[in-house]
Amino acid sequence: MVEQVGAWRRRHVLAGMAGMAGGAAALAAPAILRAAPSGAPVKVGGTLSLTGFLAQTAVIHKIAAEMMVEEINSRNGFLGRPVEFVLLDDQSKPEVARSLYEKLITVDKVDLIQGPYATAPILAAMGVAQRYSKVMVQSSMGIPKLQTYDMAFPATPFGSEPDKTYPNVILDAMASFPTPPKTIVVLTSKFPSAKFMAEGMRDQAEKRGVKVLLYLEYESGNRDFGAIAARVKEANPDLLWVGSLGLESNQLLESLRKLDYSPKNHFHLYPAPGPLALSPDGNNALCSTFLEPAEPFMSRPGMKRLAELYKERATKANLPYTTIDAQACGMISEWQVLEAGVNGAKSLDDKAIAAWLKKNGATTIYGKMRFDGPFNHGDAAQLIKQVQDKEWKVVWPKEFAAPGVKLIAS
Amino acid sequence: MPSATLLGQALISGVLAGGMYGLLAMGLSLSWGLLRLVNLSHFALAFLSAYIVYELGTNYHVEPWWSAAMVVPAMFCIGALQHWLFDRFKVNELASLLITFSFAVIVEAGIQLYWTADYRRYETEYSTLSFKTGPFYIPVLELTLCMVAGVLAWGTWLWLRKTYVGKALRAAAEDPEIAAAYGVDHKKLAYLLSGIGAAYAGVAGTFIALIATLAPAQIWAWLGVVFAVVIIGRLGNPLGALFAGMLIGASESIAMAVLSPAWAPVVSFSMLIAILLWDPDWI
Amino acid sequence: MADLLTVDGLSAGYGRAVVLSDIALRLGEGEALAVLGRNGVGKTTLIDSIVGVTRRFAGSLTLGGREITTLAPEARAMLGIGWVPQERNIFRSLTVEENITAVARPGPWTTDRVFALFPRLKERRRQAGSSLSGGEQQMLAIGRALATNPRLLLLDEPTEGLAPIIVEELLAALSKLFRSEGLSGIIVEQHAQKILPITDRALILERGRVVHQSASAELLADATPLERFLGVTGR
Repeated sequence: MVEQVGAWRRRHVLAGMAGMAGGAAALAAPAILRAAPSGAPVKVGGTLSLTGFLAQTAVIHKIAAEMMVEEINSRNGFLGRPVEFVLLDDQSKPEVARSLYEKLITVDKVDLIQGPYATAPILAAMGVAQRYSKVMVQSSMGIPKLQTYDMAFPATPFGSEPDKTYPNVILDAMASFPTPPKTIVVLTSKFPSAKFMAEGMRDQAEKRGVKVLLYLEYESGNRDFGAIAARVKEANPDLLWVGSLGLESNQLLESLRKLDYSPKNHFHLYPAPGPLALSPDGNNALCSTFLEPAEPFMSRPGMKRLAELYKERATKANLPYTTIDAQACGMISEWQVLEAGVNGAKSLDDKAIAAWLKKNGATTIYGKMRFDGPFNHGDAAQLIKQVQDKEWKVVWPKEFAAPGVKLIAS
Repeated sequence: MPSATLLGQALISGVLAGGMYGLLAMGLSLSWGLLRLVNLSHFALAFLSAYIVYELGTNYHVEPWWSAAMVVPAMFCIGALQHWLFDRFKVNELASLLITFSFAVIVEAGIQLYWTADYRRYETEYSTLSFKTGPFYIPVLELTLCMVAGVLAWGTWLWLRKTYVGKALRAAAEDPEIAAAYGVDHKKLAYLLSGIGAAYAGVAGTFIALIATLAPAQIWAWLGVVFAVVIIGRLGNPLGALFAGMLIGASESIAMAVLSPAWAPVVSFSMLIAILLWDPDWI
Repeated sequence: MADLLTVDGLSAGYGRAVVLSDIALRLGEGEALAVLGRNGVGKTTLIDSIVGVTRRFAGSLTLGGREITTLAPEARAMLGIGWVPQERNIFRSLTVEENITAVARPGPWTTDRVFALFPRLKERRRQAGSSLSGGEQQMLAIGRALATNPRLLLLDEPTEGLAPIIVEELLAALSKLFRSEGLSGIIVEQHAQKILPITDRALILERGRVVHQSASAELLADATPLERFLGVTGR
């Protein structure tokens, strides 16, 4: 059954890719007077959680990956050969991811691999990559110190210790208020990457003299936020920091509203960005990001075109929120890192690619990235965005805010 | 130590949230207790209903109550149809578990295909409505849910106790062969009951759409706790299911308020195990 | 007298086992028939075959002139067969009253009349079926069958395993049913003496075949067939 689903999906995806690649070639050929990639395709294998509990984000990644394969093939492919993405469904299960990567490398004999999404599948895939000495680029492992394999590369600029660096970005932003918050409630899902950041937030807040009124963990998949909301309301902190995933933030804010309470300043770690921005309770909500489809980011090379293409594809796929975001950009960056590595090393040899990336870094949609720090991470570039007039605006650090946009205190 | 206001508020929101457990448990309890079929697809039907209510409300601006008036009878038919399959293939208790699980997986895939795996939220003017009594806030939607669940549970309980059909169903549940030899047409009654159980999934789905977050995988999120509720509330007993739901909801909520929110699931399952070990008469 | 029940050439059993062979019997309207025989000769199988829960290999049955050979048990029940199974099989999770009302059909036998026949049941009407003693369970099983207002009451060893005083009470009630009420019935019994006085006719089974048929009074007068087939003396 599992195998059949996998096979069906694969056929489906491959058929889609083939059709798309054909279409892209037809479109690209007259416009770009460059030789289209030719010869045997370079097979790049990877899995995404197309089904299971992580599936809602996998759709975004799939669209982004398909866009990038098209982009790369409209340029030079990999070393003049067309790129073929062999995508399998890991069903959001690490053990499935593990065996699928094994299969991709040994049975399908892919030339290169691409990392899956979310920490657990990434760790599973990383073990396989290490065994076969394959370069693996990943975009969504929120706990950098877990990336212990020296040929694994982050496509997202978390920095090597985001649990220390990022809370301070938040506290710096708060310190810029006329009356900086004196108290904080840290509320987090027990989901590992959220909890990791929440513990960092608690420790850094204490270090900087912000009183931690409550530190609460809830089970991921928590259904009822009524009692938690009652505790938050009673504590009434100056800053509510929520290590949320998906719609948990919306649920919490709604539960607070039912108690006739609006939090003062509130920060959300990994919420579903669209729904939170549109929520009646979402005003002034703060959130982590790496980039938003606004200036100064839109001026980065290729960004405008990618944003438009993404919107078109996301609309076609019936996604409710079609604006390109950090999620999609993570996958874009993943392919940009791999492309930079292949082109830089002028080779499909994993060791050569890894060596080149470590030495030279790569320029992606996130800007210039380094991989020479601890756990192959470079500089941290996590930013803060805020809901203003139902839209996310990058507000901190100031140099990344669009002209005229300011961080609003509650 | 948390304040009395916090405890009271937690208790209120817990009992009200437990109403949803009870509502979901009712249909499951009926088919398990009276038809000896463990219908895992109950959750899938509830979420399918929720998605339909969401779709009608969001894209066609149909009031949720009108959507419910369409979804609930539709679910009744699906439930009856499902029973036709069970009957046709002479499905037993264990096989029903596997078959309805597969059915749920198929529904989940269907939902994912049509609505994608993305989180969906049905925003209505009711979603954050509440009123204040003393120091406590009572959310309107959850209160409505509990009242509807209460009426359904009470009505079903009376129906099973007081009507010929209800008593015949209970007799047939205990010993279908003997009941048949007394002229109880348990097959026909089973269709009715299966339909009613599924219709309750439709009611639950309407409230899920209004209260909860929709994602295909959420179908499985309620499974554990609702099973605990069904067992604590006694198979085939709708009032028991509702009370057990509220009991578990309240204890989860108190655990969240007094201990840590992460303790909530531990509390409900510890209660289940404790009650199973204690094995009182009413189980 | 018109035949209420006819059985012709009936061979029946369970699974592959043939227990009854070529049984023929006629029961008149208002008649009570005693079915006698040793353990394992097919008495219960005969009752079960009329109820419709055995496997039929050959033969046919009619009830009130209507062919019931291929009807399912629930359809036969609707046509007027009331069954008091050997194991009693009362619904343990239902109350005494619910046991009766769950299967009741309109007719002269109302719940109140059942309670009048068995006052003990009235006292225990709100108790769960599972809380009854053996004798009370038997009364309930009979009361439940009566509440379906049957044309034909089938009783399978109704006195088995009960205390003598309860047996007397039951027999008195059965006598009332067959003698005063004129109900038609078939009673399976091992102890002939108990039921011959309250039945009209008697039939003895031996290895799945009818080996003797006569009026009950004849057997009471001359116990030779009883001694021969049941190995018991007249008293």
